[in-house]
Amino acid sequence: MLLQQLINGLTLGGVYAIIAIGYTMVYGILELINFAHGEIYMLGAYLAIIFLGLFTAMGLTAASIPIALILTAILTIIFCSAYGFTIEKVAYKPLRNAPRLSPLISAIGVSIFLQNYVMLTQGATDKVFPHRFGEAGFQFMDVNVTYLQALIILVSGLLMFFLHLFIHKTRMGKAMRATAQDKTMAALVGINVDNIISATFIIGAGLAAVAGIMVASYYGLVNYFIGYIAGIKAFTAAVLGGIGNIPGAMLGGIILGLVESTGSAYISSEYKDAYAFIILIIILLIKPSGILGKTTEEKV
Amino acid sequence: MLKLVSIHTSYNNIKALKGIDIEVNKGEIVCLIGSNGAGKTTTLLTISGILKPDSGDIIFEGKSLKNISPHSIVNRGICQVPEGRRIFPRLTVLENLEMGAYSVNSKYQISNFKNNIEKVFSLFPILKERIKQHGGTLSGGEQQMLAIGRALMANPKLLLLDEPSLGLAPIMVSKIFRTIKEINEEGVTILLVEQNAKAALRLSHRGYVLENGAIKLHGSGEDLLHNEDVKNAYLGE
Repeated sequence: MLLQQLINGLTLGGVYAIIAIGYTMVYGILELINFAHGEIYMLGAYLAIIFLGLFTAMGLTAASIPIALILTAILTIIFCSAYGFTIEKVAYKPLRNAPRLSPLISAIGVSIFLQNYVMLTQGATDKVFPHRFGEAGFQFMDVNVTYLQALIILVSGLLMFFLHLFIHKTRMGKAMRATAQDKTMAALVGINVDNIISATFIIGAGLAAVAGIMVASYYGLVNYFIGYIAGIKAFTAAVLGGIGNIPGAMLGGIILGLVESTGSAYISSEYKDAYAFIILIIILLIKPSGILGKTTEEKV
Repeated sequence: MLKLVSIHTSYNNIKALKGIDIEVNKGEIVCLIGSNGAGKTTTLLTISGILKPDSGDIIFEGKSLKNISPHSIVNRGICQVPEGRRIFPRLTVLENLEMGAYSVNSKYQISNFKNNIEKVFSLFPILKERIKQHGGTLSGGEQQMLAIGRALMANPKLLLLDEPSLGLAPIMVSKIFRTIKEINEEGVTILLVEQNAKAALRLSHRGYVLENGAIKLHGSGEDLLHNEDVKNAYLGE
């Protein structure tokens, strides 16, 4: 029973973690809580449904489900990254030197705009993911793991691994860390800070897109409002790990997923969404800098 | 090589520079002295494009630097070691140096990078020992060496140094000044901002005295050292 909940929690936690990374990366560079980030995830879920629906209509899904899913993922990531890039250019860049509250308000505005834009164009009712993965899976230490769960855990694990490599080993990743630590000095060594900021939004949005695809396929249903609650949970995960800290966001996401699934099983599933807020309140009271905040801070 | 023509710059709505004319010739060490708030740092930040001048022009190697972004100015060959050194605290010494070479064209990067890093390590052997440490864990003097080393990684034609001696022990100050001379002798032109006016003027070919955002005096380092006004105001004699 506990192990089963841990698997469920890890699935959920992986999704929260990769959304939280987008929050924490943007915060690391701009010190902005990007409230529109949850909406990118929601767009990812919708775009996945639209593209997979399209491929199903074309007969591609019937021919090969993996190819259809991979194409769906690629297109969804490209579209969501384009949204992330555009949002930064339109809503945040003009406010770069404004008081800190202004871009925050702008972020909330973008969030409301995107929710309503999707509601008007896609309708207010739930949308169904065009493919059912079913309960097929395997036994692992007496626990049922569906193939989809295993895939979600694997994909989120790989994404976090490659992101870590990217941030620490590549020229651009190092430039991102440098920019997060000191924007003016980054410009003085010849880093194009605007490009680094754009890249941060593109990567964060791409990750949120993957999270959206995974959730849409896991639960099978989406609506235009899912970005709000997912955004707040991912924000909680980022704060829990120490906002601005990438390993912290990964850790925070996984802890949140585990708490939510064990709490639902042993306490009450009625409070499923409340656990995140309880954690947020506790962490803000006890250690506002988060688990990995300050001391081992590696912000981007 | 570098020419500031009637530069006016505002900083936080205060007119910090009120029409500055400065000329730096190739191969020179030129220093800019003056008290706190005279506009020395503002001058350097304006040259690097971090602050935009309200009016006037900056000409580098015959081309205007106006409306050019800071990273492109680095690409033109102007590097700055800013006030307070501004080491990236959570990057290692090696990563800090790699960031210094960020602007170097990637085609030449690998061999050029190795050459430059060897040059930096021969100037400052202590950095080699600290290569894996985070920049933030270095002492003030080591951070200053790293800051200068980082700027040299980009093969600058003109190096802007803002208060390199600030907060350092006397022995470290003379080490830094000797190194500045060495760097200059290898062909790098230097514009130096200093509170330590005596040491700066001794080192420099020419100097400018900045007061309240305007150039009050200029002349050779030797002349300024013996100027009565300079002696009274800045040399404490």
